[in-house]
Amino acid sequence: MSEELIQIQTAFRFSEENQREFDELIGHYPVKEAAMLPTLHLAQKQAGYVSPAVMTYVAELLEVPLMKVKDVVTFYPMFFEEPVGEYVIRVCHTLPCALRDCKVVLEHLKARLSTDVASETDLGKGTTADEKFTLMKVECLASCDVAPVIMVNDDLYKNLTPEKVDKILDNL
Amino acid sequence: MVQEKRILYEHLDVPGINTFDVFRQHDGYARFEKAIAEYQPDDIAKMVMDSGLKGRGGAGFSTGLKWSFVPKDIKPCYLCCNADESEPGTFSNRYVLEKNPHLLIEGILICCYAMGIETTYVYIRGEFTLGKKMLDAAIKEAYAKGYLGKNIRGTGLNVDIYTHPGAGAYICGEETGLIESLEGKRGQPRNKPPFPAVEGVFRKPTVVQNVETLCNLPFIVGEGVEWYTQMGPTYGDTRFDPPKPDPNTGTKLYCISGDVNKPGVYELELGLTCAELVEVAGGVRGQEVKAVIPGGSSAPILTRYELDTRLDFTSLTLAKSMLGSGGIIVMNETRNIVDCLLNIMKFYAHESCGQCTPCRWGTPWVRDIVQRIADGNGRKSTITRPRFGIAENGRWGDTGETEEIYEDLDLLESVANNIANVDTMTWNTICVFGIAVSWPAVSYLRKFRPEFEATIREGQLTTLSVEAATVPPEENYAYQQRIVPRELE
Ligand SMILES: Cc1cc2nc3c(=O)[nH]c(=O)nc-3n(C[C@H](O)[C@H](O)[C@H](O)COP(=O)(O)O)c2cc1C
Ligand code: SF4
Ligand code: FES
Repeated sequence: MSEELIQIQTAFRFSEENQREFDELIGHYPVKEAAMLPTLHLAQKQAGYVSPAVMTYVAELLEVPLMKVKDVVTFYPMFFEEPVGEYVIRVCHTLPCALRDCKVVLEHLKARLSTDVASETDLGKGTTADEKFTLMKVECLASCDVAPVIMVNDDLYKNLTPEKVDKILDNL
Repeated sequence: MVQEKRILYEHLDVPGINTFDVFRQHDGYARFEKAIAEYQPDDIAKMVMDSGLKGRGGAGFSTGLKWSFVPKDIKPCYLCCNADESEPGTFSNRYVLEKNPHLLIEGILICCYAMGIETTYVYIRGEFTLGKKMLDAAIKEAYAKGYLGKNIRGTGLNVDIYTHPGAGAYICGEETGLIESLEGKRGQPRNKPPFPAVEGVFRKPTVVQNVETLCNLPFIVGEGVEWYTQMGPTYGDTRFDPPKPDPNTGTKLYCISGDVNKPGVYELELGLTCAELVEVAGGVRGQEVKAVIPGGSSAPILTRYELDTRLDFTSLTLAKSMLGSGGIIVMNETRNIVDCLLNIMKFYAHESCGQCTPCRWGTPWVRDIVQRIADGNGRKSTITRPRFGIAENGRWGDTGETEEIYEDLDLLESVANNIANVDTMTWNTICVFGIAVSWPAVSYLRKFRPEFEATIREGQLTTLSVEAATVPPEENYAYQQRIVPRELE
């Protein structure tokens, strides 16, 4: 292992606040492994993405082999294995949103951010050069009544048009 | 016009209903208090059985019956509330979580009391950040007020509720996938049996119940079984003599989206027709209805000739479709069915968990065939078969007729049917995701075949008029085999 890699791997620890949150949630389950998803969410929130160092740390915390953490991280689309932009923009493109012109919204975002759409194996493709935004497509966000919708980080935006998208981005 | 009947959603828009105090002013927790004061746990279970409540999450399985499978002597027993709501076209659970989370807590409390459960996990899909925040706040309040925790209201009852975030995988909505995910693994469904009721999370008996199902419980207890069963039709199952009652009782949070003027959630008594629901939702946006998906994207599609089908569990099943999660998606005359199928198949190809070969490979294969057709490269060939009749020269002989064979359409149906066969209802997979793939694929194709053929023939997406695109009722397999159930007197 190169020196650099060892350094990255020892770099991650929970902040004090997150450590407290972790201590609380681990008590919810009869086995530690069950805290995997909430722990990974917490770690991703702190680190921005699930780096190898994060995985090692989580494996130690939950007392499971590293492989198990990796197994989980690669399965769930919400965990990022690469750095992403400050704002992650998720555009819903499933049928009800498609019937309400989500394509227009997506094309507008692509043009305005001058980036492509991220794919699950290549998040960098959808990240802007200034690393401010990552644009990705997601499946139904359970808001089809107010379609088309997007999520910017944790916030949902409804009934979108290109003009509304512009306003949202201007206000970020 | 059919009137909305708001029960679960009655106080949804009351300002502050997400707080304990306001909820309390609107009968909140009174039904739970009634349950613990007036009934034994077994009485509650019996009431739920008698109410005829069917699960609202997708399978439509009798809740009372599910509870009766849980062994009484194995402890601890868990409750998992399924708030993963990822079926395209479904969005009713979200509003409960975001606006009226205490109602869900009350439902959970009643279920826990009836089943002797002390720990509940609410599995919330990862994207519901607001919903999780609101529910977490409500849980905290309920602990502070002594409605959760140890020795609730001095009865010796202990209940803890924990929320557990998902991370964007649709298959974690399937009950055993949910359980695996809750245990901190990939959300890959388990073989059944054993069913979760016997061996679920942490290998202990587990009741998995949808948010909406649990929210029905306070009203069954509060208003009584008789009041509850008056809502919705009770059919007679004529396979039995005398016909066995088949209840479709209560209200349903119908989610309607797509080409209607007023999309949204409408709470109505079960059993109105599809056409009526479209009316309630402000009518179709555009000229006319081309097709309706009645129960989330997994459900077989309905043509305009089938809009008189009643939207309840039994009627839709007998019409070879399903109520599923109650997500109704309407398409108008401008929509291309091939394009719609492509969208849905992209979804399923993305969401297969990858455990079973027919699903892992079959689903992307179906998607690729539909993509090829939509791109205008659908395969077809013209064959000349010797066919005897009166030929051009007026004499008996080979007529030289040709026949178009749409190879890709046959291939599409065969691949889909090999994941799960929609005619025999057998699947070659671990979970029923397989059916959720082949049902739409086969039904869209069989019911809108002219549009698929036209698209292949023209070499590009070709949208026909509603009339021309739809297979007429005489040739529609589902319409021909459809049984309209009769209500018990
Ligand atoms: C592929 C698949 C996805 C499902 N997704 C959900 C879901 O998002 N929410 C839900 O409540 N049930 C979902 N279900 C149904 C559950 O397996 C289960 O039947 C339900 O949660 C039981 O609760 P109920 O009896 O209260 O409906 C899904 C089933 C399958 C096969
Ligand atoms: S049918 Fe598909 S989703 Fe279900 S277990 Fe098999 S591979 Fe996974
Ligand atoms: S399809 Fe976009 S929110 Fe449901």
